[in-house]
Amino acid sequence: MKILHLFLIGVLLSSISCSRFEETKTDLYIHTDAPSNPVSDAAPLHGSIKGTMLKGKTYTIDADVYINKSDTLVIQEGVHVNVTNSAGIVVKGVFISLGTKENPNWITVPNVVKTDNPGADVNSDPAYKGLWKGILASTDCPLMVIKWTHVEFGGAAVLGLFSDIGFSSGNKGAYDIYFQNPDGLFILEDSWIYGSVDDPVRVLGGRVEMFRNTFEKCGYTGGEAVNLKAGAVGDFAYNLCIGIATNGAKASNKSATTAQTNMRFYNNTFVNCGFRRADPGRGGSINYEEGAAGMYYNNLVVNCRYGPRIVPNPIADIAHLFYGSTFQYADNAAVASEFYPHGYIQVPQTTDFPKPSLFLPNNYQPGDVYNGAALVGLNDPLFVNAPVPTPQGHQAMDYSAVQNFNFSLKLNSPCVGIGFTAFKALGTEQNFPVSSKYGASEITPPGKDMGAYQINGTGNQHF
Amino acid sequence: MNVKVTFFFLFFINFYFAQSISGIVKDNITGEAVVGAKVVLDGQKGTSIVKLDGTFEIKKILPGSYNLKVSSPNYTLLEQKITVVNNQNVKVELLLNPSNEKSIEGVILTGSRGSDRNIQNIEKNSDQLMNIVSSKNIQLMPDITVANVLQRVSGVNIDRSNTGEGKYPVIRGMDKRFNSTLVNGIKIPSPDNKNRYVPLDLFPSELLERLEVIKSLTPDMEGDAIGGTINLVMKDAPGKELININASEGFSTIFTKNNPFLSFNHNVINKKSPSEINGEDYRAVSSDFPRANLSYTNRIMPLNYNFGLTYGNRFGKNKKLGLLLAGSYQNNYRGSSSIYIVPNAEPNSGNVPTFSDILVRNYSTQTKRLGINAKLDYRFNPKNKISLYNLYTTLDEFQARHTVDSIFAIQRTGPGSGNVQIFERTFRQLQHIYNSTIQGDHQLTDNLKLDWSAVYSRAKNEIPDFAQYSALHAVYQNQRVTQDQLQGMERQWTRNTDKDLSGYVNFTYSPKFFGLKSSFKAGGMFRHKKRDNYFNSYSLAATLNADGSPQIFTNIFDAQYGFKGTNTGLAGDQGSNNYTFNEDIAAGYLMGKISLTDKLEVLGGLRVETTRDQYNTLAAGNFDFKDGKISYKDALPSAQVKYEINNHQNIRASYYKAISRPGFSDIVPLRITGDVYDEVGNPLIKRTRSSNYDVRYSYLSGVANQFLVGAFYKNIIDPIETTVQHLGNLPGNIVLTPSNFGTSVNYGFEVVYSKYFGNLGFLANYTYTHSEIKTNKLQQTSSNLPEIVQQKRPLQGQAQNIGNLSLIYKNPRWGLDTQLAFVYTGERIAQVSAYKDLDYWQKAYTQLDFSLEKTLSKKFSLFVKVNNLTNSPYELFLKQPNVYRSGKGILPIQDNDKRINVQRDYYRSSFLFGVRFKM
Repeated sequence: MKILHLFLIGVLLSSISCSRFEETKTDLYIHTDAPSNPVSDAAPLHGSIKGTMLKGKTYTIDADVYINKSDTLVIQEGVHVNVTNSAGIVVKGVFISLGTKENPNWITVPNVVKTDNPGADVNSDPAYKGLWKGILASTDCPLMVIKWTHVEFGGAAVLGLFSDIGFSSGNKGAYDIYFQNPDGLFILEDSWIYGSVDDPVRVLGGRVEMFRNTFEKCGYTGGEAVNLKAGAVGDFAYNLCIGIATNGAKASNKSATTAQTNMRFYNNTFVNCGFRRADPGRGGSINYEEGAAGMYYNNLVVNCRYGPRIVPNPIADIAHLFYGSTFQYADNAAVASEFYPHGYIQVPQTTDFPKPSLFLPNNYQPGDVYNGAALVGLNDPLFVNAPVPTPQGHQAMDYSAVQNFNFSLKLNSPCVGIGFTAFKALGTEQNFPVSSKYGASEITPPGKDMGAYQINGTGNQHF
Repeated sequence: MNVKVTFFFLFFINFYFAQSISGIVKDNITGEAVVGAKVVLDGQKGTSIVKLDGTFEIKKILPGSYNLKVSSPNYTLLEQKITVVNNQNVKVELLLNPSNEKSIEGVILTGSRGSDRNIQNIEKNSDQLMNIVSSKNIQLMPDITVANVLQRVSGVNIDRSNTGEGKYPVIRGMDKRFNSTLVNGIKIPSPDNKNRYVPLDLFPSELLERLEVIKSLTPDMEGDAIGGTINLVMKDAPGKELININASEGFSTIFTKNNPFLSFNHNVINKKSPSEINGEDYRAVSSDFPRANLSYTNRIMPLNYNFGLTYGNRFGKNKKLGLLLAGSYQNNYRGSSSIYIVPNAEPNSGNVPTFSDILVRNYSTQTKRLGINAKLDYRFNPKNKISLYNLYTTLDEFQARHTVDSIFAIQRTGPGSGNVQIFERTFRQLQHIYNSTIQGDHQLTDNLKLDWSAVYSRAKNEIPDFAQYSALHAVYQNQRVTQDQLQGMERQWTRNTDKDLSGYVNFTYSPKFFGLKSSFKAGGMFRHKKRDNYFNSYSLAATLNADGSPQIFTNIFDAQYGFKGTNTGLAGDQGSNNYTFNEDIAAGYLMGKISLTDKLEVLGGLRVETTRDQYNTLAAGNFDFKDGKISYKDALPSAQVKYEINNHQNIRASYYKAISRPGFSDIVPLRITGDVYDEVGNPLIKRTRSSNYDVRYSYLSGVANQFLVGAFYKNIIDPIETTVQHLGNLPGNIVLTPSNFGTSVNYGFEVVYSKYFGNLGFLANYTYTHSEIKTNKLQQTSSNLPEIVQQKRPLQGQAQNIGNLSLIYKNPRWGLDTQLAFVYTGERIAQVSAYKDLDYWQKAYTQLDFSLEKTLSKKFSLFVKVNNLTNSPYELFLKQPNVYRSGKGILPIQDNDKRINVQRDYYRSSFLFGVRFKM
C-alpha cells in the first residue's frame, strides 16, 4: 500500500517537473474582480476594518484598527497609509499589502523629518522614537503578505492592544511587524523597513519568506533586523541591513511548539550593525542559538561589530547547521578580531573570505581570541557607492541609513562570482506557495555573488 | 547511679523518716504540668519545686496531719489537708486553677466542662484533631514569630522567605494554599498580593495565648481547610493584674565586613506612582524616579532589638470589666547569601537541562514588626458576656538585593569570563492586618446558649517603588575587563487591600438524654469581602551617547535614563493586573454530638457553604475574561467517633469534606512579568475539593507524657498547583500558571512522643506523608520539539518525612529553662517544571535552634535565643545526571554526579539576648 502511494506521488512529481520544462508561455487576458468592500478614505480609520484599500489612495489611521478573525485587508499598490496618534494595526485575520516596484506602498507616520546625516544625535533621531505601534498580528493571523511596502517608525507603547498580542502590560513598545502563528505564512518582500525601537520584525513561529528587503536604523539599544524564534521556518535572503542595533538576522528555537526553527540566511549584506547594543558580545550580523537549525552562506558582512556567531549555551542545533562563504571586511582591528566572535563555537570555513588559514594562528580553536589587526582595510567589497571604508572623521555607526548610497557591487568587486550555490532555498525544498497575492512572488535561489546585489541584476532591487 | 545512691540513702534514713509526700501538680484546665510551682507544708521547713515532669516530692517528714499549700504565679493558691501515716509515702494529684478564668473555645467546654471528669487537656477533648502550643512553651522556644513556632508542630513544615524567615505553613504535605488562618476562631484576610493564605511572620508569637493547629473540621468551622487550620488564640484578660515586659537585643552573624548589611534611603520612596500623582495621561520622565533608594550605605553588624509589653487586669465591681493590652515591637536585620543557577526556560535537545546564568545574590532585609492586641470584655452576669477584641499587626520591610549575574550565553569560555551584569534592587514592603471583633456569649436557658460575632477586618499590602537597575561589563579570555555599561531600570508599584465584613451566629442546645450528655449546634455565617489590586510598572532604558555608543555607568545618580518609544512613560493600560474582587460567602450548619455511653461519643453534621465571586479588571473590552462571576455551593458533611478506652487512652476516627478556594490571582486573568517566567491567572480554575479520613490514638500519662499516633487519608479532587506550563502551546508562552490536576491522594501518619524524666524532657514528632499526582509535562526530543508526556510525582511542597526533636532541661531550683530544638524537613518539590524529570527539589533541610531562660529574681529573668546554630543551607537541585562538574560548562556548588545543584542559600546563625520582667 505504502509503496503504491510513493509510486503515485513519484509519478505526479515527475509529471509536474516535466510539465514545467515543457511550459508554453502565454499572455492571455485574465479579468480582475472588482475590489470587494473598498475601504473609504473619506474619514480617518479606527476600529474594525476589512476589505480593500484602493490603488493610489491615501488613508489615515487615527486610532487602533483591527482586522478581525476571518476578515481580510488588501492594500493595492500606491497606497499611503498615514498613522497618527501613535495608533496600531492589529491583525487577527489576513493582511496583504501589494505595493509594486513602480508604485510602492507606504505605512508610515506623516510629517516626520528623517535625520540620516552622519553625526546626528541618535537620542533625537525619529527612527528610534517608536511613533506608532506597528502591524501586530495575534496568534490567529494565518497570512501576512507585505510586498514593496515602506514600513517606518514602529514601536510605540502598545497600550490597550497588549492582550491581543500577548504582552503583559501596555506601556511597552513592540515591533514594526510582529507575526506569531506557527501555522501561518509570513511573506516580506522588496520592502523598506526604516526605524524601530526594538526588533523591526519579530516572528514567533510560522513559515517565513523574506526576500530583497532593506532594513535601516532598526533598534535603539537592541534589536535584530529580524528575530526569528519559536519554530520559524524559511528563508531570509538578498536583504540589506544597515545600522541595526544588534544583529541582522537571528534564529532561535526558543518556545518552539510544532516545528523546529530552521532558517536559511543567504546572500545578505550587513553593514555597520551591532554598535548600539548596550552590552558587549551580542552580535552584529548573523546569530544562531538555542536549538535553531539552518544554513548561512554568501553573506557579506561589512564593518559589523561581530561576524556570524553560533551560541554554545543554550546551544544551536549544530548537527543541522551548515555554513560558509562569508565575506567580511573591517575598518579597524577590533572588528577584524571578531570576524569569528570569541567565546562562541562557529568553525571557520575554508570557503570564508578572507581565508581563515591566512590569519588565524595554527593552534586556533573555535571561540579563541585572535588578533585581526592585519586584516584592517583588506578586501574592500567595492560597493558602487557606499561609506566603505568609513570616511575619515567618522565611525562606522554614524552611517546607519542607505540615503543615496548604492550597495550593489562594482564589476571588479572581490565578492563577484565566489558564492556557494549548491543548496536550495528552504522555501523551494518545502514548496512554499508562490503567488502574486497569497504567497511569495518568487523564491530567489542562492546567488553566486556575495551579498544582496547580484551583478546579473537579480537579488535586491533597491538601488 | 544517682538513683542507686538515693535508694541507699532512703533506706538508711528509713528508720526515722520513712514518710514522704510525692505527687504531681497540673493545670486543672490544660492538664499541663505547673512546672516551678512551690509546694510547702505548713510548719515545715523548705519547699519543694515542681519539676518539668510535674512531680514533686517532700521527704523526711514525721507522721501527722499537714496543711499542704501549692502556689504558682497566675494560679489560685491551693490548700489541702493531708494525713501522713507511719511508713507511708502519700501520693497526691493536685490540680491548680488558673487565676484568670480562661475562656476556652465554646465547643470544647460544652461537651466536657460540665462533667466531673477533669479536662486533661484541650487536645484530647476538642471536637477536632488538634495540636496545641501553649504560650508558656512559646516563650521558651527559640522563635519569635508564629511562623517559626509552627515548624515545631507535628505534621507541619514551613516555607521560608529568601532570608530564611518562616512564612507559610505546609500541613501534612498540603501546600499553604490548602490551609486557612484564624485569629480567635475568626478567619482573617491576607495582605498577600496574590493569595488567600496569610504570611505568618506577621505575628509576633508573644501575643499568643496558644497556637492551635487544627487538622480536622467540624460543621461549625469554615470548610476551606483541606490541610488544616491555624488558629491564633490571643491573650485574654487575666483574673488579677498582670504586667509583663521584655526587651532583647541581638544580631545575625551573616553581616560582616565583607558582606555588610546594605541599607538604603527609603524616605525618598514615593508611595504613589507617577501616574497616580500626576494623572492618568501623564508621561513619566526619568526625573520622576528618585535614585537615592538605589544607593547603599554599608552597615557591619546592625543590632536587632525587640520589645514586648503586656498589661492585663479586671476592674470594677465584681471585676466585670476585663482588659488586656499587649504590644510587641521587633526590629530585625536578616540576610542571606545565595547562589542560584538560573535554568534556561527550555532544556536542550534530549531534555538535557541547561542554564542561562549564575546569580550570586546577597539579601539585606530590615523588618520592623509591630503587633498590638487589645481585648476588653464585660461580664454582665455569669450568663452574659460581651467582648471587644482588636488586633493590629504590621510589617514594614526594607530589602536590598545585590546580584552578580554571570551570563552563560555571551562569550563565556569558562568560569571567570563572559558578561557579568550587576543588579541592584531595593524595595519597601508594608503589610498590615487589622481585625476588630465584637463577640457576645449568652446562656439563654440552662440548656441553650447563644454566641455571636461581628467582625471587621482589613488587610493591606503595599510595595511602592520596587526598583531595580543594572550595569554590565565583559571579562575577556585575556582577563581584560570592559567598562560597566548601563542597562535598563525597572520601577513598579503594587498595592492591594482586602476588607472583610463578617457575622457569625451559633446556638448550642445541650440537653441530657437519659443521663447522657449531648449537644446540638446550629448556626451560620456570612462574609463580604472586597479586594482591590493596583499594579503599575515602568521600564526605563539607558540612553545612548549621541553617537549611538552605549552609556558608561559611573554611579546611579549620574545614570541617564529615558523611555524608549512613544507613550512608554504612560502608566499604560495595565489592564487585568488592576482589579477588584468581591466575594460573598454564606454558610449554615447543623451538628450534633451525643455520648452514647460514658466512653463513646459520636459527632456529626452538615455544613453548606455558598460562594459568590465577582472580579472586574481594568482590561480593555477586547480582552477575554476581563470580568467574571463565579459561584458555587458546597455541602460539607463530617462525622466523628471518639472512644475513651480509659483515663489515659482514647481513640477517635473522623471524616470530613473540605474545599480550597483558588486565590484571587489564580482566578483573575492577570499577567505579571516575572524573574524567569511571567505569572498568568486562570479564570477557568475550579476550587479543590477533598474527602478526609483520620484516625488517632492517644495515650497520656503523668502530666505531659504523651504518645500519639494518627493516620490520615485525603482524596483530593482538582488539586490546584501553580506550575510552569506551555500555555495554549503558543510560542513564547511558557508561564507560571495555576491549574487543576485531576485527582490525587495524600496519606500518611503522624507520631508524637513526649516523655519527661525529672527535669529533663524529650519531645519528638515524626510525620510520614505520601502523595501522588499525575500531570502533563513536556519532554524536549532530539529534534528540538517538545512532546507531551505524563508524569507522576508528589504534590508540590510536600516532604515525605518531617520531624522535630526537642530536648528540654529545666531546673526550677536554679530558675533555668533550656531548650535545644531540631527540625527536619525531608526533600520535597520546590517548583514543578514544565518538563519531565526537571522539577526543582529542595534538599532535606535541618535546623538547630537553642534557647535559654534564667530567672534572676521573682520578677526578672534573662533569656537567650540562638537560631540556626549549624548554619544549614537551603538547597535546590535537579534529579539529573550531573554533566556540569567539569569542562567549560562547569558549574559552582556541585557535589554529586546524580543531581545538579541549582541553589544554595546561607542565612547564618543569629543571636538574641533579653530580659523579661513579670508581675
